[in-house]
Amino acid sequence: MPSIQTNGLTKTFGESVVAVDSLDLTIEDGEIFGFLGPNGAGKSTTINMLLDFIRPTAGSAEVFGMDAQDECAAIRERIGVLPEGYGFDDYLTGREYMEWAVETKDADDDPEQLLDLVGIREDAGRVASGYSKGMQQRLAFGMALADDPDLLILDEPSTGLDPNGIQHMRSVIRDRAADGTTVFFSSHILSEVEAVCDRVGVMNEGELVAIDSIEGLRESATGQATVELECASAPRVDGVADIPGVSAVDVADTTLTAECSDPSAKVEVVKRVDSQVEVVDILADNTSLEELFNQFTGGGRDGDGSVGEGIDLEDSQEASA
Amino acid sequence: MSTVTVAKKDFKAARRSKLLWAAAIVLGLIAAFVGYVSGNAPGGDAEQVRALFRVLTLLLAVLLPIVALVASYLAIAGEREGGGIKFLLSLPNTRRSVFVGKLLSRNGIVAGGVAFMYVAAISVALTRHGAFPAAVVFGTLLITLVYGSTFVSIALAMSSAAASRSRAIAGAFGTYLLLVILYVFPVVSFGDIARWVHTTLLGADANPDLYNAVQYTSPYLAYRKAVNLVLPADMRQIVFYSSLPEDVSYGSPAANEVLPLYLQDEFAPVVLAFWLVVPLLIGYALFERADLE
Repeated sequence: MPSIQTNGLTKTFGESVVAVDSLDLTIEDGEIFGFLGPNGAGKSTTINMLLDFIRPTAGSAEVFGMDAQDECAAIRERIGVLPEGYGFDDYLTGREYMEWAVETKDADDDPEQLLDLVGIREDAGRVASGYSKGMQQRLAFGMALADDPDLLILDEPSTGLDPNGIQHMRSVIRDRAADGTTVFFSSHILSEVEAVCDRVGVMNEGELVAIDSIEGLRESATGQATVELECASAPRVDGVADIPGVSAVDVADTTLTAECSDPSAKVEVVKRVDSQVEVVDILADNTSLEELFNQFTGGGRDGDGSVGEGIDLEDSQEASA
Repeated sequence: MSTVTVAKKDFKAARRSKLLWAAAIVLGLIAAFVGYVSGNAPGGDAEQVRALFRVLTLLLAVLLPIVALVASYLAIAGEREGGGIKFLLSLPNTRRSVFVGKLLSRNGIVAGGVAFMYVAAISVALTRHGAFPAAVVFGTLLITLVYGSTFVSIALAMSSAAASRSRAIAGAFGTYLLLVILYVFPVVSFGDIARWVHTTLLGADANPDLYNAVQYTSPYLAYRKAVNLVLPADMRQIVFYSSLPEDVSYGSPAANEVLPLYLQDEFAPVVLAFWLVVPLLIGYALFERADLE
């Protein structure tokens, strides 16, 4: 049985704002699923519907085969949530918040151990509303982990965390996943999703524009690998442009930039240039995933909104199937 | 089970509010002051103490709605605006357990304030008069707690309907204006408005019973008349004078009995029950349907 399944899930606000547009999504038991998209793509709205914070305009959402709206109580028994837009408003300490989560979940976890796991045990005696954003995020994450849930739903979990915190959270997520916990987390940060997830769904403007493994997405990308060579003297363009897999070459002063449609062509570029002039420095950029993200999402809020051409979504989904 | 956990956490946080403690102490001092200045009533010690608690209820009639509204108007709206609702509903709680838990906890807070006043008033009564008319003390206490609960219900309903702090504040102000001020303020009170509509606009003959019935829809008047139920006949108040025949004196038991049933003191619990239950049902229905973002 899938952990999460949505069928034609739709949410409109007012007359014209379509936050989520007939979303069909299936998250299998035990996978780590990254839910990716720019700000305002509909990620949180989707999560809020899974948690019954907001009600769908059309379609349905199921968690563990139970209707998200009708059986929210039974669902909440089995999930751990790091919500978006939470607040520690009450005059309670971090420890008391953790104890409250453990008590409400009727869990046999030791609150101290959870506080320790997320690295705020030393500050647990302080009032949680006085915590920094990162510490609050750690506490909220710890509360989500109580009672070893079958499904972790994490909405932008790395918000406010320092690099160590992000690293640590990732390893905790991986540990829990290794024990069989399904993880569903949203992010607008590619590297984060790339580092942890088995499978990724990309949302844009309320629609799921791609769903695949990281490798699958990479393969389906038309993204270019680039190599930049800093030379002792001005290199020549000819001889490099003919290399199979090189799509464009540009020389500015002593710098040669080659864009390769086939990443493996980069090596040949370096060899060829090195045979002509002395190469001082090499800068290779293989992350076509950033570009891929931009292609899928049309640059998000900062782009012109047109979804890039050259990616056949149907193909990429079939490739993963 | 989860209802209790919600209430416990809410109550725990409230107990740490310095503002609430300050309010409780002020209430206690007010009650002690009332106990100190009252005491010129005719009769023996027990009479003095009955008079004291009667004056206390007069004060509570206007004060307690404020206490209950202030204590409860943010119960749900504050959680929604501050994001606490995200944790409440991520954990194994339902909206019902959150709503009922908040109801219990805020009632507990208001009851705590009332307890402060009663302890202060009882202490003064015992030291000054050495009398303890239990029927009046516990009778008014019970009715006062119910009265406080009606405004907790109303405030909770307001809080459920309001998605933000500022709207909840407006709702609390509006409630007090509508349910207390507009029933007792001369000329613009609901009874006077009903009279004006009935006689001037509709050109009908004056019908005091009707206007008094309109007045009686207020929890404020219902409380004052419910208090009559536990007071001796000569201490009763608000007997709807305009509905009384000429030959019945205000202080006699007959002053209540000659009224139509719907104007009698015995009808007060019905009015209070309405304000206790109906706002809760509306508030819960609104909260159950709301999109919580």
